[in-house]
Amino acid sequence: MVINFISKLLPARPVYAHCDIPCGIYDPHMAQLAAKTVLTMVQKIKELDSSASPQNDNVNARNNFVRMVMVKEEHAELCKREVLILWTDYFKSEHLEKFPDLHDLIWQTAKLCSENKRGVDEGKAMELIKAVDEIAGIFEQTKK
Amino acid sequence: MKAPFSRFKVFGNSMLPTLKPGQDVLVFNWAYIFSRPKKGDLVVVEHGGREIIKRVQISSGPASPRLRRASRGTFVIGDNKNCSTDSRNFGAIDKSKILGKVIFII
Repeated sequence: MVINFISKLLPARPVYAHCDIPCGIYDPHMAQLAAKTVLTMVQKIKELDSSASPQNDNVNARNNFVRMVMVKEEHAELCKREVLILWTDYFKSEHLEKFPDLHDLIWQTAKLCSENKRGVDEGKAMELIKAVDEIAGIFEQTKK
Repeated sequence: MKAPFSRFKVFGNSMLPTLKPGQDVLVFNWAYIFSRPKKGDLVVVEHGGREIIKRVQISSGPASPRLRRASRGTFVIGDNKNCSTDSRNFGAIDKSKILGKVIFII
């Protein structure tokens, strides 16, 4: 009763129950999509390679090749960026306690992104998808 | 010496479900003159040039070695852990930064 009376006399100042980033904007889906795009581009580049002949070695074919490499490059970079955002901004020390291999997993995934930029290797692209899916799995578990 | 009580209006979601945005709280500014914050206390803290409201998780050093390394003071955390920027991000805070303890939710 007294407390209620005191409260009513005092002016209210703002106090922030704050979060720097709005809820729910973190999502591993973008990284998963980027990793799948890398694999698709690797497969398409390989198809081009196997069908190489004097007939299709024209400007259009070369244009396609360059575009595929470019998309692979961009999506490997996007994948790395999305994974690193989850690592630096979303995952917290309590998650690391539950998933002690998280740092290593993120590190290996970032390296796989770079390897996929450097080469055209279906195996490495599949490894990247698997690693990103594993991170997404951890992300989902932290949301429970 | 500052007044014994302050009233605050809550902005943000990090203390849900305990405190909803728009709710007012009454804070006792003299709560920690002779004592330390206790685990579970709701406190108003000065951080980054503004006043924030969080819950004391631990004030004598967290149990985990990883957290202990980052902490020499009071570790505060939001009740809505998935949507809170708190000591998990900016580390433990000094007792001098704690402005008071919530004693009444209006």
